[in-house]
Amino acid sequence: MAQVAESGLARDERLARVGLAARLFQRPEIGSMVGVVAVFFLFLWAAGAKFAELDGFALWTDEASNVGIMAVPVALLMIAGEFDLSAGVMTGSAGLLFAYLVTRPDLNVWPAILLVLLFGLTIGFINGMLVMKTRLPSFIVTLGTFFSLAGLNAGLTRRATGSVYIPDVDTASGFRSAHRFLGSTFTTYAFPDRVIWWIVITVVATWVLARTRFGNWIFAVGGDATAARNVGVPVLRTKIALFMTTSTMASLLGIMIALQIRSAQADQGIGNEFVYIIAAVVGGCLLTGGYGSAVGASIGALIMGMITVGIPFAGWNSDYQRLFLGVILLLAVMLNTLIRWAAARSRA
Amino acid sequence: MTHLLAADKVSKYFGNVIALKDISAHLDAGEVLCILGDNGAGKSTLIKILSGVHQPDAGRLLVDGEEARFGSPREARAAGIATVYQDLAMVPLMSVWRNFFLGAEPTRGAPPVRYLDVRTARQEARRHLMAMGIDIRDPDQPVGTLSGGERQAVAISRAVYFGARVLILDEPTSALGVKASGIVLRNVVRAREHGAGVVFITHNPHHAYPVGDRFVILNRGQTLGTYAKREIDQQELVRLMAGGAELAELQHELEQISG
Amino acid sequence: MTEHEQVEWEAIEEDETGLSRRELFVKGGLLTAGAAFLGSPVAAARAAAKSPAAAEASSTFAVVTHGAGDAFWAVVKKGVLKAGKDLGVKVNYSESFNNPQKQAQLIGTAVARKPGGLVVSAPNPSALKDPLRRARRAGVPIITINSGVQAFKSLGAITHVGQTETIAGRGAGQKLKAAGGKKLLVIIHEQGNIGLEQRYSGAKSGFGGKTSRLQVKGVSDISTTTNQIKTKLRADRSIDAILALNPQVGVAAKDAAASANSKAKIATFDLSSDVIKAIQRGQMLFAVDQQQFEQGYLPIVFLYLYRYNLNTVGGGQPVLTGPGYVEKGNASKVAAYARRGTR
Repeated sequence: MAQVAESGLARDERLARVGLAARLFQRPEIGSMVGVVAVFFLFLWAAGAKFAELDGFALWTDEASNVGIMAVPVALLMIAGEFDLSAGVMTGSAGLLFAYLVTRPDLNVWPAILLVLLFGLTIGFINGMLVMKTRLPSFIVTLGTFFSLAGLNAGLTRRATGSVYIPDVDTASGFRSAHRFLGSTFTTYAFPDRVIWWIVITVVATWVLARTRFGNWIFAVGGDATAARNVGVPVLRTKIALFMTTSTMASLLGIMIALQIRSAQADQGIGNEFVYIIAAVVGGCLLTGGYGSAVGASIGALIMGMITVGIPFAGWNSDYQRLFLGVILLLAVMLNTLIRWAAARSRA
Repeated sequence: MTHLLAADKVSKYFGNVIALKDISAHLDAGEVLCILGDNGAGKSTLIKILSGVHQPDAGRLLVDGEEARFGSPREARAAGIATVYQDLAMVPLMSVWRNFFLGAEPTRGAPPVRYLDVRTARQEARRHLMAMGIDIRDPDQPVGTLSGGERQAVAISRAVYFGARVLILDEPTSALGVKASGIVLRNVVRAREHGAGVVFITHNPHHAYPVGDRFVILNRGQTLGTYAKREIDQQELVRLMAGGAELAELQHELEQISG
Repeated sequence: MTEHEQVEWEAIEEDETGLSRRELFVKGGLLTAGAAFLGSPVAAARAAAKSPAAAEASSTFAVVTHGAGDAFWAVVKKGVLKAGKDLGVKVNYSESFNNPQKQAQLIGTAVARKPGGLVVSAPNPSALKDPLRRARRAGVPIITINSGVQAFKSLGAITHVGQTETIAGRGAGQKLKAAGGKKLLVIIHEQGNIGLEQRYSGAKSGFGGKTSRLQVKGVSDISTTTNQIKTKLRADRSIDAILALNPQVGVAAKDAAASANSKAKIATFDLSSDVIKAIQRGQMLFAVDQQQFEQGYLPIVFLYLYRYNLNTVGGGQPVLTGPGYVEKGNASKVAAYARRGTR
């Protein structure tokens, strides 16, 4: 009996190895990989070789990191079956709080960063608890947080400064060192620091998803929360941790932006929540949860970066940028669905 | 004599509705106890008490002869009582091995770089499923692509693998066809052979009779009796379950319609 | 002067003297080979400067504003395009929709395409520090327009073309006070636009009397904006002067006042053909005109002059395009220009 099982194992291992190409096609991000190549060559053709040269490359990866740093945690949250619509405005809240702390009480930049990250953890905890305890859809709960934060951003900024933006972040003590790591560029091609952060975040998230217990739980709570609970997965803890990750990442990005533009503006980040979700969906995340990848979300962000920078680069009318994004979103999702359907059929 | 799991005059009320009244039953290792009853007989309330979802309002549960109170499913699981729910046992989009080890993943390394032992998990899942007679071609296959019977079978094997001494199966065959039901029933027998005590809840006496060692028949929250296999035949089981008089009446009615 | 600029200069000289040199080469006929041999490094440099790609890039002027696709910025864009056409230079116009980070990025994109000059509006100067420093390092001359008069020097711009918002706001406030206003409502149509805040504080100081603000949805949703203004006017009957900071919002305020039966005097910043019509009919008192067509046209001229002749304008001071006022007296004259979209 045991011998039969052993030989069975060996045979199946061989089968699996042959199916490697097929397995690639089952990856969630395959659609976005096709998309990124297509978009790249489109702009290479339209904007010329400058698009692929280092300074062009630095530009679109900058924009991609701007989206990707958030698209990755948003993707994890979506895999776990939840949305965070406050993710965009949260970058604004964090930036404003940060700018306020370093310019009004004249705090040093580094402790201010710590405080703002703590603020992010708190907002994420509130989001998570509200969603889990009220059992309302996170779409509604975080829409509430979104509007609350947007209102607070406008109201408190005016109250504190009498204006709608907080300038002079670069006069704060510790600005230089923080700027170098979080809001600056390196090499003569103005390669942004943020890109490094984005890559690190993507790699860590990918590892967590594929190779840790927590990653297994993320898929499980999004795929079927009741089944997950039945086998002992801590659903509450998993989801709250992801809400906290998302808003903390939003805080980090908000700090980076404030350091980059040396100021914070009251309307920063509003509308970006959907950009993050689009990147995650283009990258293969299911809106219904349980499926997706961090790499896919980052590739989605890369596509967005190429489009945002490529259109003015090619000298096209930027009025049509949203049309472009809409078409890409539809194409990528249709491609994803098609590939998944074909993969499922080849299995049967 | 101490039993693996025993219920002693267990009652449960929801407001003024009596869901269960004075239910007594017991289960030993390597034995299949079938709980039969029509819809609304109190089957699901009983398993919810056994698996720790509900607490009894009167009576007690005994595990190895000692009184046990389960505050949550987790506590029941800790006592070795695993429940496999009808459709809620698996995450369809996740692979077989990830489902198999969900909630009890093998890891290596120390935090913060503690990571999944994917190799072990894959091999163990396949080896154990094979031993339970389930031939999964590819442990990376999403559970959603398995048949309903295979899915239940994986869930049962998983519970056995994780050392469940008592396995509670909630209507594992109700949504399945004949062939798939066969797979599940074979697994029930395998689980028993592995030394587990199985509580098999069903409203289908034809599924219960071939695998069961003893039968508890519930009707409107009360037991109609407990029978060992040698004390009862399949016909009698069917008759008891439907409530003998009612079935006779139904038969009479049907004859009139067709006649 | 940077290397980049030197190449540009040679390119321009080339245009001036091209004909005579070509004649020389034709005359030289058989000597061409020898000349090429002797002067090969020079010839190579000339060829590089003359290559179409370099010439095209150098004659493009990039304009990056914080505009949001509205009527006001459409006029600026027309000015930019007209100047480009009149001078025979390529121009490239883009807008950041009031998002400083996006504007910084658009400037980065423009600089990567190696323009002959850069025109930016600077509502949030700190945000533009880094990208404009890179532009300067790449040898790109800069002119600021519209917003940023207080910062154009520190940003390294040659000059600033625009009106000072505070002064324009104060002027509008004074005119509304002179018209008999006691209680002023200023309508803010963009959250987070610093220029609007400066207009508000200017209007408040010029008006002297009670001044309040109303935050509205904005030009993307005029019907909600109209309702918001109407509600405010119904709730507070004592408001007798309204200042809108955008022509579309001005028209919305006019409609709102009519349906709320308010007798408030209405004034707006900036023109549109609807605003001029309303002024002609007496439904609006006046419009503050900053003549934004000039804010698009003039910087292209200035950059051209700088490129052609290293001329600068303004002598370290900003070049003011406003405020002018369009009232019942001069409205009909301006109307024709507004209709074609340049006022």
